[in-house]
This record gives sequence, C-alpha cells and structure tokens, in this order.
Amino acid sequence: MSRAGTITRRTLLVGSAVIAGGVAFGVYAVSTPHANPLESEVGPDGATFNPWVKITPEKIVLIAPHADLGQGAAGMQSLLIAEEMDLEPGGYEIEFGPPSAAYWNRAQGNEAAPFMSQDDSIVAEGVRGAMTSLFKLLGMQITGGSSSTPDSFDKLREAGAIARETLKAAAAKKHDVDVAGLKTGKGAVILPDGTAIPYTDLAADAAKIAPVTGVALRDPSKWRLIGKDVRRPDIVAKSTGALHYGIDMKLDGMVHATVRLSPRRGALNGFDAAKAETMRGVARVMEITGGVAVIADNTWRAFKAAEAISFDWAPSDYPAEQDGHWDRIAASFTSGSLDAEWRNDGEVDTGLAEGGVTQVEYRAPYLAHQPLEPLNAVALVTDEKAEIWAGHQIPRYVQEKVAAITGHEKDQVIFHNQYAGGSFGHRLEFHNITAAAEIANAMRGTPVKLTLSREEDFATDYPRQIAVARGQGVARDGQVRTLALDIASPSVVRSQMGRLGVSVPGSDSQLPAGAWNAPYAVPNFRVRAYAVEGLAPTSSWRSVGASTAGFFIESFVDEVIAAAGADPLEERLRLCNWDVARGVLEAVGEMSNWGEELPVNKGRGIAMVESFGVPTAEVVEVTNTDQGIRIDKVWVAADVGRVIDPVNIENQVQGAVVWGLGHAMNCELTYSDGMAQQSNFHDFEGMRLYQCPEIEVRMLENSGRVKGVGEPPVPPAAPALANAIFAATGQRIREMPFNKHIDFV
Amino acid sequence: MELRVNDTIHQVDVEPDMPLLWVLRDELGITGPKYGCGIAQCGACTVHVDGMAVRACQMPVSEAAGSDIVTIEGLGTPDSLHAVQEAWIEHQVAQCGYCQSGQIMQAASFLDLHPEPTDEDIDRAMSANLCRCGTYPRIRAAIHAAAGKLRSA
Amino acid sequence: MKSALLTSIALLTLSSFAAAQTDSPASGPPATEAPATQTVAPEPSVPVEEGLAAWDTVYAVASHPRCANCHVGPDNIPVWSGPSYGARQPHGMHVSGGESRIGAEFIQCQTCHMETQTGEPHAAPGAPEWHLAPVEQQWIDKSSAEICHQFKDPARNGGRSLEEMALHVRDDKLVAWGWKPGGNREPAPGSAEETYQAIETWAAAGAPCPDS
Repeated sequence: MSRAGTITRRTLLVGSAVIAGGVAFGVYAVSTPHANPLESEVGPDGATFNPWVKITPEKIVLIAPHADLGQGAAGMQSLLIAEEMDLEPGGYEIEFGPPSAAYWNRAQGNEAAPFMSQDDSIVAEGVRGAMTSLFKLLGMQITGGSSSTPDSFDKLREAGAIARETLKAAAAKKHDVDVAGLKTGKGAVILPDGTAIPYTDLAADAAKIAPVTGVALRDPSKWRLIGKDVRRPDIVAKSTGALHYGIDMKLDGMVHATVRLSPRRGALNGFDAAKAETMRGVARVMEITGGVAVIADNTWRAFKAAEAISFDWAPSDYPAEQDGHWDRIAASFTSGSLDAEWRNDGEVDTGLAEGGVTQVEYRAPYLAHQPLEPLNAVALVTDEKAEIWAGHQIPRYVQEKVAAITGHEKDQVIFHNQYAGGSFGHRLEFHNITAAAEIANAMRGTPVKLTLSREEDFATDYPRQIAVARGQGVARDGQVRTLALDIASPSVVRSQMGRLGVSVPGSDSQLPAGAWNAPYAVPNFRVRAYAVEGLAPTSSWRSVGASTAGFFIESFVDEVIAAAGADPLEERLRLCNWDVARGVLEAVGEMSNWGEELPVNKGRGIAMVESFGVPTAEVVEVTNTDQGIRIDKVWVAADVGRVIDPVNIENQVQGAVVWGLGHAMNCELTYSDGMAQQSNFHDFEGMRLYQCPEIEVRMLENSGRVKGVGEPPVPPAAPALANAIFAATGQRIREMPFNKHIDFV
Repeated sequence: MELRVNDTIHQVDVEPDMPLLWVLRDELGITGPKYGCGIAQCGACTVHVDGMAVRACQMPVSEAAGSDIVTIEGLGTPDSLHAVQEAWIEHQVAQCGYCQSGQIMQAASFLDLHPEPTDEDIDRAMSANLCRCGTYPRIRAAIHAAAGKLRSA
Repeated sequence: MKSALLTSIALLTLSSFAAAQTDSPASGPPATEAPATQTVAPEPSVPVEEGLAAWDTVYAVASHPRCANCHVGPDNIPVWSGPSYGARQPHGMHVSGGESRIGAEFIQCQTCHMETQTGEPHAAPGAPEWHLAPVEQQWIDKSSAEICHQFKDPARNGGRSLEEMALHVRDDKLVAWGWKPGGNREPAPGSAEETYQAIETWAAAGAPCPDS
C-alpha cells in the first residue's frame, strides 16, 4: 500500500471518533468556554479573571492545574502567568485548583493524532484540530504525554495578560486616570505619579468589571522570567523536609489503612484474618473490591497485620509464567494481529530480495513505575460530600471513580491534588483512590489515610508494555537501503483507557511510537505494529511506546549502518529528512567531538528518537573495564522549540537519561504464578549514583513548536548505550535489561 | 518510652520493635523522614542518631531510645539552613524531592567525617540512597559545594 | 546508646595496630610454614586425624558465605554470595567497608545494619557492631590450610589464644548471627556450640592444619 493510502485509512479511523463526538455535541459546544471553577471560591472582595488567577485583598493565588509530580509543573505554570502579570517570584501562592473541564488539555490531542511531528499538511493539522476539539468536549484535564508546557505556554501567558490589563482598567477607573498611562510591576499597578497600588488592593474593584479581552502577549525580548535562571518555588521546602506530599497528610481523628489487592488482578476467593484482627492497634479488617483492607491506628501496625493475613487469590487471566508471555508475543506476528502498517515507503520486498539481509530480533520486558512515594490517598466521606487528597494526573476521573463508589454526585466529590513524590505514569491509575474511597465510605465521618507498602505497590503496579521486534535490513554501497521492522506489543492505550471505561477506536499509535516516525529517508522503509492480546494489563510508563519502539528502531538502524560499513552519525545525517532532527544530531556530534580517536577499550554509540514532538539525540561513551562496562559520559541535544526554565529543563533531561539508562541496564518485571516476581528495590534497582555518568545537555529552539521534555530523552538512552557497548566490545545487546548479557561496573 | 528528637523529649507508647521511622511519622507527626522501601534500599528515611546517619526504617525504636535523634527538620530550617541544604538549594537538586531529606541527611553525616571527598568517595557514600528522578549529577555537584562551605565556615 | 562513632575510632586504631603487626596480610605465609608466633604446645591429648576432622568442621563454618562474605580482603568490599544470591557479587549499593572496616570513610555499616533486624524479607540483616573482620582475617578465597594457619596466629587472629578463639566463636554476638541470619539466608553449618567444641578438639590435637 502506498504511504498516502496508509495515511488516508488512518485518518478515517481516527476521524470517525472525532466526527462521532462532533455530531453528538455540535459546533456550539466546541466553541463555548467551560465555566470558571474559581467563581465560587473568591468572596465578594476577590476577583478571578479566568480559571488561573484569583486575587483577594490578602493574596494573589495562581492556579497550576497540571499536577506537579516532581517535573516542576507548578513552577512552570505559575512562571508563565507571573511573566505577563508582572509578579515577582515569591509574590504569589500556587494552588493546584479543583478538577474542572476548564482545565482541558489543549496539547495532548495533537499527540493522539497519528501524524509525524514534522507533518504540517492540511490533513494532519485537520485531524490534530479535531482531536483537540474532542479533548475540549470531554473537558479532559490530564497531566501526561509531556504536554503540560505546550498546553500552558500561550494559555497561561494570556491568562496573566488578561489579569494584568483588567487590574489596570480597574485602577484607571478607581483613580480616574487614562489606562494608557498605567504601568505594572512587582504585583502592583503603577499610577502616572509613581504610586504603586498592590493588585490585592484592587481585587474588589477588578471584580466589578468585565475582564479585558484581546490582549497582545509580550514580545519574548521583554521577558523577565521565561528562559532565565529562576529558582523553582518548591526548592527550599524540598530541601528542608517541609514540603508535604500526599503521604504526609494528616487530619484530626484519622486512621491508617493499607490494602492487599489481588496480585493476579483477579478475584479474591477467600482470606483468613483471624490473627490480624487480634494484633495491636488493628481496628478492622474488611473486604473491599478485589482484596482486603486493614484499618489500624498506625501505618506500620496496618502493614504488619496485612502480612499476617493469608489469601486465596483466583488465577490470573494472563499467562501465569513469564515464558507464556513471550510465547504469546511470538505468536502475534500474524495478519490477524496486525494493528496497523504505519509506514511503507518504496518497495520493501524488492529491497529485501537484494540479499545480504541483516535479520535480528529485539526484546524489551515489562517494567514497574515505582516512584519513591508509594501510592496513597486520604479520604473522608460524609453524607454531604466525599473529600479525597492524593497526587493524581487525571483529577476529573478521580471524581468520577469516587462518586461511583460513594453514591455522591460528581460535584460533591472534592479532590485536593497533592505534590507527588514522582510518578512516571504511575499516578494515572486509580486503585489507591478507589480503595481509599471504599474504606472511607464504610467508615463515614472518619478520615482514612491509605498507604500501600512498597511490596504492595510493586504487586499492583500496571507495568510498562512488554515488546518484541523483528527487523530485516539491507545495506548496499555503504548505505542503508531497506528497513522492515515488525513490532509486537500489548496496546497500552487500550489497556489503560479500558480501565476508564473508554473504548479507543482505530490503531494505537503508541505501539510503533518513535519507530514509524523516524525521520530517515530510507528508500525502502516499512514499519508494522501487531497488538498482542491476553497479556498482563499495562500502563503508560515515562515515554510510553517509544521506550520500547525507540530502542528497537535505533538499535536496528545502527546494525544496518554497521553492515553498510558507514559511520553511525554520518549515515544518520545523510538519511535525515527533517531539519529539526538534523539539528540535534549535529549538536551531539559537535558536543561529543564525534569521530575523534578513542582508546581501544572505549566506545561511543549514538541514537536519535523523536517522541512527543521533541527530536532528541544522545551520544553515550563507555569503557570496557575488567569489572564490566562503565558509562563515562552522555551528551544530549533536544529541540523543545522554546526553553522556559533552563535549570529545570537540564535537571529533567539528566533525570530522563538516568531513567532510560538505569532501567535498560538493570530492570525487568517478570511474572510467576501469575504474580510479579520483583517486590522492592533490591531486585528492581534502577540506577544508583555510582553508575551515573556525567550528562551534558544542550537544548535547541529551532522547531517553532513549544514542547515538553519530561519524556523525550528517555527513548534514545537505551539504544545509544547498546550501540556504545557494540562499539567498545563488538557485542550487540538486543534484549533489555542489558545486565542479562553483560556486566556493568 | 522516651525519645529525644530535634532537642525535644517525647513520650511514646509503642512496641519496642516498631521502626523509628513509623514512630516519627505516625506517632510524632515528624514527616521529613520518608517511607520509601522499608528495607534499607532507598535511604529516604535517613536520620541522625548520635550524629550518625541511620535508616530509620531499620532501627527498632528501642535502639533509638536514649539517643539524640535529629531529622531533616532539626538539621536546618528555611531561616537557618545547614550548609548541605544551602548547597542543595543553590544547585536546585530536587525534582520530586521525596528522597532528598534522606540524601541531605546522608550527605551531612558523610561530610562531617570527610570534609574533602573525591567523586569516588561520594559514589561510595551516596549510592545507598536511591533517587528515582535521577538527580545524581546535581547531588554530586551539591556535595562538593557543601564541602567547600563547611571547610570555609 | 548508639556507640558506632566511638567504635569506629576504636576500630580504626585497632586496624592500624593490626596492619603494623602483620606483613602483607593479603598474601599470608605459605601454607606449609609453621607460624613463628606459635608457642610451645602441650602434648596433644587428641589424635591428629581427629584434630584435622575437627578443623574441617571449623573450616566449613569459616568458608560459609554467612561468615566469609564479611571476612574479605584488602579491597574492603563485602560480598554477597551463597544460595540466596545466585552468582557471587560485591555487596550492592557500591558500599565499601573502607580500611576502617566499619565503613567510616564512606557510609557506616551500621547506617543500615542495626543491632536487631526487622525481619522484613530482603531487609538489611542486623547484629551488634556490624562490621567487616580485620583484613588480616580474610577468609574468602582462602584455602582451608591458609585459614587454619591464620586462625591460630595471634598476629592475625586479634591476639587471641586458641581457647580465646573458641570462646570468641561461641559467644560473640555478631558471629552468632551467622547461625541465625534470618530472612531466606542459609545459616552457617552446625551451631556456635558445635563449632566451639570443634575448635576445642582441634586445639587439643595440637591445632593441626591440612596440607591444602
């Protein structure tokens, strides 16, 4: 099938979902703004101009509706508003705000549209627009997909500018001066005579006038905060133990609970809690959906009591043993399991018939998320309302899930989002929320804090997808001529959305993410994705599909380049057909002084993957020592279009490289007897400090699109490391974790 | 049982084998020390007991009784920061921050005995503290900076 | 009262004393050479064969991972080995006991290893004064003969007589942990009492050492 044909079919599949939405809701619904949830929060003397700003006589509060999982979303969002509002850092408070359709994500719809990032054709833009409308209709407030910054960049600057101009208009009216003569600075309107009137003093007046609209945004040359070295607002609290996470929440009269949920994701046939019920501090042991809860007067006592319960769990509906998972994937490279052929350039079959085929298979295991703050939630249910405190990435679904349990209306469910001790996709799931709601509903009037033990968190973690890829490639005349890559994996999107009760039509673009959209003009290039059914349920894990497919494509490309006898960077540059991607390749080449002579025991590998609209290239340098492979240095270049917070972005990129490398080296989640075999960090270690290389980061701003960086540096890390190990040792590692095949220092 | 935490004496009525971590967090409401693993794999619960870094999740409270216990809250406050905390803030080490109480307590104890650590010393001393966000490059830099502050103090 | 820091200073002193008293403890004397420090032994009251058999019992304990993992050489790196670990590997987390052998240079052993252990699976085991044995008492990677000569050499056994060695093995609380290690760790063979008896028997036979 031609490339145009492929795209047309895909468009129809995706488009039909959007059209269905459009018919149901109509054009009016798409163009109408959602109500401002802050209206009911400000008193008569307070003003709110839009869902992101509220000012009372006491203080200025900026709303950061994207959850702060450690990635610095609270700081980034407030910075954008403060820039246009002329606020000083520290001159305002930050709140996460209530769940609201007003906080629908304008950027993530783009990612759900299955087009290459560089594709700005009418069809691509049209589908992106339709997907974005669907997100608005659904009021989809979500933190994920590296979309917080692209969602916020224009929207929050506009919110700040509107607030500023409205405050100026209020001041002009109050002091009977021409608004054109007013300035703003340091949280105040400055009158022509130089008198500064704090915004807080203008709140009551501003509330009486309609917000000014049609405000122009400032030219970047005037920015004071964006792109500058700023201190993240939570840094002092996080360095003094003062920051309160969800797990630190305390309410008067609160009890402490823990749960055991089926480690096989099936039913609970029975349990014996006779001993647990007699243990000190245990108030109650109760059956909840899919498991058992222990309520005690202290978390440790709840943990110990839960350990004393014996369970009879029903079998899993996925293979009990790990080999069965691999077998099921191996059996899925069939036309019946084909989810989509994502790319078919040139004549692949003819290209493969040229002979000299490099034929390889790659494997990537399930992986746990396991942020350092275990899942938890505090819940208080009364007859009037249900309140819940937790860090979560999809607040409105928290409301929906809790309402379904407690019987309240959705607007009677009050959700307080909390600072989270990491997520990496983990806080898109709900089992902590629903369990806490069930317990609190059974104990109305008593606040309940639920904490999962680390072992329970591992046992109930919905893992990263397992995946296998089979590649056939041909090199000729020193060039890559033909690539055919078949990828088989369970659909994370369908698994995850299924748990929300949402059925997603069409193909899952995450299956081949990072591979099908590789910006390489290989003459014959085909990528197919196969959806494997009947495996363990999976969930988004930092960089989602690209964490596996990116490893496959960039390992595979490297192998065929090696077969061609070409230089890994030079051949990638020759093939590259997107100037933005070319820019990051050239940047890491220059940073690492690619091509310089290295000692015989050292090697360098390169990889470049585009995910979430951000092409990211990495060079990894390793030394083959007598104790194993040591990673010495990593160079990273990524193009995010616009750098908002240069300090945080460097930290994020370094962290993403550590994440990508550490899990590729050291981690897998395997099943036996239907249960995850790894239970804590002793057998799922990630990277520790001693294995961490020096990581040099350069951000480029050439793409013209503002993008987020939480995920994109993850996918290139694993293949760049594998390619470096090949360069240093001649050994190709085609399976993660790499430590199954080679020792690391 | 009597516990001395951050120069305050507390009376607690708990089992002798309850880990110090849970006495601090759930009985005394001192939440700077974090629960991360419960098995001395992550170091998020690190406190000082008679000046030495200790994993509070591993120490039965009976072993801590009679000792001088210091948590991150007692190391320094926003108004009166410890040199390690100053360095952590200047280098903006934290991402999610959940491990950082433990990282800071471990680093402070380490620098107490070793004011001029090499990178290899830091690798040895700090690799039992896990950071899932991957702030390690900044932890290294902040420890060197803190060492300089402590030497010149 | 946590006395770890005081202990660390004491052990640092002890360690430097021991180092000064010992020539190149890593290599050790040849197995066949009788230690110069051996005092004149009384007439053996137990046959040599019986003594050698008793030594085998002691060696089975000394060479067991529960003991040998912390009787490591001059790299000061404790070892994780034995049935519960799969392949032998250095202690995780990149830790080193340092020349102090208590981790004082980097992170103290007692930061994680308490006097009593929590009993959680995979948690750090605990016993009083958790530390590496002095470097001259390296057992890992040593032959039965090498350990035997080292065992009865006061310059390399902490200045103990054979009777004191027997009592040390029977009564020391850290040594005792080896027979009750908790978790799914395999205990050292026999018991403290049996090992004490074996040392007594071996000593009564004139403390004979095997050829290899």
